[in-house]
Amino acid sequence: MNSAELITALLILAGAFLALIRAVKGPTVFDRVLAVNVFGTKTVILLALLGYIGNRSGFLDIAILYALVNFLGTVALLRFVESRRFFQ
Amino acid sequence: MSDSVVLRTIGGMLFPYILVYGLYVQMHGEIGPGGGFQAGVLVAAAFILHALLFGKELTDRLLPTWLVDLAMSLGVLLYIGVGILGLVKGRYFLDYSVLDPTHPAPAEALGMTLVEAGVGLTVASVILTMVRKVNGESS
Repeated sequence: MNSAELITALLILAGAFLALIRAVKGPTVFDRVLAVNVFGTKTVILLALLGYIGNRSGFLDIAILYALVNFLGTVALLRFVESRRFFQ
Repeated sequence: MSDSVVLRTIGGMLFPYILVYGLYVQMHGEIGPGGGFQAGVLVAAAFILHALLFGKELTDRLLPTWLVDLAMSLGVLLYIGVGILGLVKGRYFLDYSVLDPTHPAPAEALGMTLVEAGVGLTVASVILTMVRKVNGESS
């Protein structure tokens, strides 16, 4: 791992931490949902970066999986916030 | 949100891709990350997304409850069947070599594929049933 990769990973981690702060503090529930979604996106990018650093292509599969489940989680959370139920 | 065009379009586009990705995780599990459990969770996630966006009735028409129940038992039966086959042939439980005694390596691949298929079927249908039950009781 060279220093460029290290700095990139640390910056992504810092962004994820900032999103986490917003998720805890967020005044409205939509701030929290958006922050959790951003945190998930940061996780996807970090997984892809780790796969590149470690030269393990299997990490990309996990990153795609996380992106799909992240979308599903956001939709489910918004649906729950809106009507307090998951399915109508 | 139930009549959000953007969500419905994106979700409808994403639904088959999640299913195909689940199938990929299932098939590729032997040489990469994944396997039966993860593939089952992905397939269940696809149907949960479908139910979230299009309503439970449409999903029930797409995947009837009796089919989910059948898949649940069929997966366990597949796993136990491969396992018991080893006992019946006088070997150990889950001894894959009885599937093709002359070629142990392909027999092991076949046995693992069958067992993983059973795990995937069961996990997908059990998670779908759990979500269905939880939603039915909380509303």
